[in-house]
Amino acid sequence: MSVLSTGPAPATEDTDRVVAELTERALAARRLIIDMAAGPRGCHLGGSLSVTDILIAALHRAGQDEATRVVLSKGHAAAALYAALHVSGVLPENPAPLYAEPGHHFTGHPNHVLPGVLFPTGSLGHGLPYAAGWALAQRLSGTPGLTVAVLGDGELQEGLVWEACQVAAARRLGALTVVVDRNGGQNDGLVADISPLPNLVERFTAFGFEATEVDGHNPSELHAVFRARRDPDGPPLAVVAHTVKGKGVRAVEGKAGSHYVSIDAAKAAKWKRFVK
Amino acid sequence: MTLTRLPADRAEHPEPAASAEPASLEAAAAEAAAAVPEAAVLAGRDAYRAELTRLARTDPRILCLEADLGGRSHPFAEEHPDRFFNLGIAEGAMIDMAAGLAMAGYRPFVSTFAPFAALRAAESLKLGLGYLGAGVSVVAPYAGVSGAWFGTTHHCLEDLAVVGSIPGVTIAAPYGEAEMRAVIRSAAASGRPHYIRTGRNATPVGLHPAADAAVPVVRWDALGGAAGAEAEVCLVSVGEVGTELCLAARAMRPELAHAHLCYLDQEHLATAAAELAERHSRFLVVEEHRPVGGVAAGLALLMPRCTVIGANAGSTWPSGGGDHEHVLAELGLDLAAVLDAADRAARH
Repeated sequence: MSVLSTGPAPATEDTDRVVAELTERALAARRLIIDMAAGPRGCHLGGSLSVTDILIAALHRAGQDEATRVVLSKGHAAAALYAALHVSGVLPENPAPLYAEPGHHFTGHPNHVLPGVLFPTGSLGHGLPYAAGWALAQRLSGTPGLTVAVLGDGELQEGLVWEACQVAAARRLGALTVVVDRNGGQNDGLVADISPLPNLVERFTAFGFEATEVDGHNPSELHAVFRARRDPDGPPLAVVAHTVKGKGVRAVEGKAGSHYVSIDAAKAAKWKRFVK
Repeated sequence: MTLTRLPADRAEHPEPAASAEPASLEAAAAEAAAAVPEAAVLAGRDAYRAELTRLARTDPRILCLEADLGGRSHPFAEEHPDRFFNLGIAEGAMIDMAAGLAMAGYRPFVSTFAPFAALRAAESLKLGLGYLGAGVSVVAPYAGVSGAWFGTTHHCLEDLAVVGSIPGVTIAAPYGEAEMRAVIRSAAASGRPHYIRTGRNATPVGLHPAADAAVPVVRWDALGGAAGAEAEVCLVSVGEVGTELCLAARAMRPELAHAHLCYLDQEHLATAAAELAERHSRFLVVEEHRPVGGVAAGLALLMPRCTVIGANAGSTWPSGGGDHEHVLAELGLDLAAVLDAADRAARH
């Protein structure tokens, strides 16, 4: 069985040090996201804070392995992507003062002209098939590497997601990892109230994926998922990451109303002081 | 007008049940031979498959993707099985995946019927081929009403309007095997996004001289008469049906001029308009498409000092069965309509 280039952590890897580093980056990213919410146009705060730890861990893997790519399919969490790219060293500019500003590419949904952004996403459902195509290309060219697609749970209501899952499983794109940011919210309220998505792990398994669940705010669990051995010709992996909308800011944590937030500078300063 | 076609659609749909005993192999072969023109040419989609298969022998970047409408025996699959992917009935995912493949350095060609490519997957075209600029070529048979008796779900009279509004996508509607092959070669070499429209199984022989090299922006029809700059009206033909109709009209009225356009995106139309307006001032555009968003509408905006009218598929929903010609007649797109419109253009 061939495997992707990343195997178990080398004996010398100090997992505790990596986890500490991821934790520190996530905190820095959350502060940037709060800054973006305090900009003149606000941002998709709740879903950005819920997906932050996932992005930080995935980008850490990408930083160790240049063949690995991360596609944020839930593009409305662009603030989190920009922040995570910045604190991970991919994006040199601080995105917060430029977010949604005229003349800059830090739009409310990711723009592929930015470093680290492969595809324009935000029209939900497209990021997964883009990533599947990229993963197929990696296989054809014999390039080892992981392709990570990060989706929202509300996004799973899009038919295109399941079209792509069908194809990815049929093609056994084992280098494709789909992470679902399971924060339970969507634009108009709770996923459970609007169009529930029960038995997610079983759904992915039924499609032919391997599937697992993690705490989407636990850097140790996330780090382990992204560095685990994968058979590139085996089934793709689905990771249901349980998260909290608005994670880290007590005022909005778990609240469906945190989907899009605009705050003033004073509130931002307070939130940044206490953010976790 | 009679479009030449192969006797059976070999790929995606069974033929209607025969009422008589199954024909013998010999009889079936004879029937097929009789239906194929002497100098047998390939239908648009067969020419596409043959040319792409040939090109892939020397270009390892070329990939061929289908969404379950490529037929059971596809030449590309037979010759390059490791680069052929039937992704199943998943048009949107196929075009998005092709964008991913293109961004990784491959040259994917995807094919599915025009209504599914241009309408169902319209957003994927906008984002992947347009905004992202991924070098995906979409080859779309069943354009217009060439799906005939399969019905309105399988017709596509809106694709030029939809895809034509997406900047950065080269649009082509080749006429004949040679032109299709030339378009495929150009698309593969350029690595730029393409939408290539063709019919079902019609096998037009093509215009002379054949497009064995690059396809010109405007192909002036040198046959059928001495019409030149003095012609009162210049026919502008688009696609297989439009070109067949223009050839038929010109055979009856040699005084008409005729310019054939293969490339139909805004950029090519702007270049074509400049060349057309240098020679003529009255134009009749013949196209198997709705009037809104069609080539006539585009050229009219580009040639404000000229008269540009259209003979097209109109705005009704064809709901009857029959062959391609029957459905075209139901839409009022036939030779009589073209000649009528030419008279109107001349009086303008």
